[in-house]
Amino acid sequence: MLKVEEVSKIFRSNEHHVVAVKKASFEISEGTFAVIIGKSGSGKSTLLSLLGALDHPTSGKILVDEQNVAKIPDRSAVKYRRDKIGFIFQNYNLIPNLTAFENVMLPMEFAGINFTERSRRAKNLLIKVGLDEKKQNRKPGKLSGGEQQRVAIARALANKPKIILADEPTGNLDSVTGNRIIELLKKTARDEKTIVIAVTHDEIIAKQAEKTIQLKDGKII
Amino acid sequence: MGAINRGVKNAFRNSVRTFSIVFILGLSIAMSLIMFMSYRTVEKKIIGVKSSIGNTITISPAGVRGFEGGGELLTQENVEAIKTMSGVKSVNAVLSDRLDSDSSSLISAIEPGSFGRRQQGFEGGDNRQIPENFSMPVSVTGTDDLSVVSNLNVSTLNIVSGKKFDEKSEELVALVGSDLATKNNLVVDSTFSAYDRSIKVIGVFDGGNTFANSTVFMPLKTLQGISNQENQVNSITVQADSIDSVSSVENAIKTTLGDKVDVVNQQDSSSEAIKPLENIRNISVYSMIGSLIAGAIIIFLTMLMIARERKKEIGVLKAIGSTNANIVVQFVSESMALTFLGSIMGIILGFAFSNPVLQLLISSNQSIGTNNIEHGPGGGMRGMAARFVPSAQNTLDNISAVISWDIILYGLVIALIVAIIGSSIPAYIIANIRPAEVMRND
Repeated sequence: MLKVEEVSKIFRSNEHHVVAVKKASFEISEGTFAVIIGKSGSGKSTLLSLLGALDHPTSGKILVDEQNVAKIPDRSAVKYRRDKIGFIFQNYNLIPNLTAFENVMLPMEFAGINFTERSRRAKNLLIKVGLDEKKQNRKPGKLSGGEQQRVAIARALANKPKIILADEPTGNLDSVTGNRIIELLKKTARDEKTIVIAVTHDEIIAKQAEKTIQLKDGKII
Repeated sequence: MGAINRGVKNAFRNSVRTFSIVFILGLSIAMSLIMFMSYRTVEKKIIGVKSSIGNTITISPAGVRGFEGGGELLTQENVEAIKTMSGVKSVNAVLSDRLDSDSSSLISAIEPGSFGRRQQGFEGGDNRQIPENFSMPVSVTGTDDLSVVSNLNVSTLNIVSGKKFDEKSEELVALVGSDLATKNNLVVDSTFSAYDRSIKVIGVFDGGNTFANSTVFMPLKTLQGISNQENQVNSITVQADSIDSVSSVENAIKTTLGDKVDVVNQQDSSSEAIKPLENIRNISVYSMIGSLIAGAIIIFLTMLMIARERKKEIGVLKAIGSTNANIVVQFVSESMALTFLGSIMGIILGFAFSNPVLQLLISSNQSIGTNNIEHGPGGGMRGMAARFVPSAQNTLDNISAVISWDIILYGLVIALIVAIIGSSIPAYIIANIRPAEVMRND
């Protein structure tokens, strides 16, 4: 269960401050495919950063399995991201000089999983997201956008996270490929009992979500 | 694949960049090594020069010059007193005498000539007639150390036949100069008479000049005994342990022996001789430091550029669970791999160009040395001593860079230092990149 209580994020500079997220509160349970929707600058990505402990909120609580991750120190944040969060980015953000297979193994290496186990798991995950063995040994530059995003999904699932945070996961894909990725994310949420939260400004994707959080000027509406 | 492996792999991500960095870094490391080798070579030479030349102090009775003048001979007690002084490496004594036709069977190999006749008082207003069978006196020197050739007035002592004598013995043996041996039909094991004794020729030598090749060397105690000059010496040569100790040893000698002796040292001349070596050493040190700094700056800028370029990638690594330490290890490994390749190239170039560069340094410093060097006045003990002090030109001759396997070790240590210094600040920058910033830039 993910519980967000009165979370705000204010960016301060010398002259003025910007309220990126204003007293956001919501709950999402396991196995849910949720969407955060809003226009550019509405605070979607900032909220996603806060949920993934990439940044600290100015106030409020973010409870994941009763643990408040809003104010955890950096060292604990690393552990939290590694063990409980999986990230998917709009530009895929795969490591360019590693193969698809090596990219998926990476989070498991950080978690201290031995080579045999992480190798087995990476292979299974890549097959599950639909990447055949031949393509598994290709570097990202040799894969299509859709294939790269599938690798990114496999990488996000590597450490069996509680939550997958996807920032515009179909932003760089054509509509057919985008739909397939959304289907894959929904299936992942359902099969893995994982919370999948996707940030998007695409109404069509939002309609497919079991829960929609709409942001406007940092506020949930 | 661990962080180290990833770092090493990343070093080859862009082959053009890798080659450029390795090449420039290699030049910098090569320069450091060349300068380090030059420094070591020159430093070794300076220590050698300081402990072998310019540290000689010659003591002679006051008022004596060669076989002229007056005064009291030195004694064996003087020798023993000097041996106990601080900063003294070795003490050698000689006793010189002249053998004429009355005291020896030897006939000098040197023709008197006008100079010889004048020296013997047969010219210059004196009406004495030169005797029919006159020959120049033969110089005989008793020594307690044949290796100190400056005591023997020879530039080298090459035994052309026979062997050297035991300097500590009292045997009636002698080394005879090659010209004198020829003139007197002497070979090894033949004998000649001196002081009414039969002296056995134990060896024949070449002393490098006509005067030397017409002289005789004997063990010191032998000459003291047969010439009735027991316990007496007429010249003492002191080697200080370093050129830096010469002044203190000289003062101690003057204090102990008083004004009955003349004390001469070669410190000034040899200081001039060392000057060009010190110039090369200083240039080597500054260039080495400069090259090291340049190497560190190259790797620093490279890693800084890489860190900035991969800011997003660093953010991703942090987002998917990597610790700062893990990322820093990865980047330092990359920097190490580049530096290691640079150091291999640097070592190869360093070995190849160490001697040419050293010779270039030497040639650019030779003019300084040869212009500044001054020898002592032509006559007297100072002039004689100065003849045996190598000039600046000599000290710069025969220097070649010392290339040894430990240089590779030094090369790798230099590379390690360069890599650590060069990647420390980028590592700090990497550690401070926040993953959230990457999200915002995404």
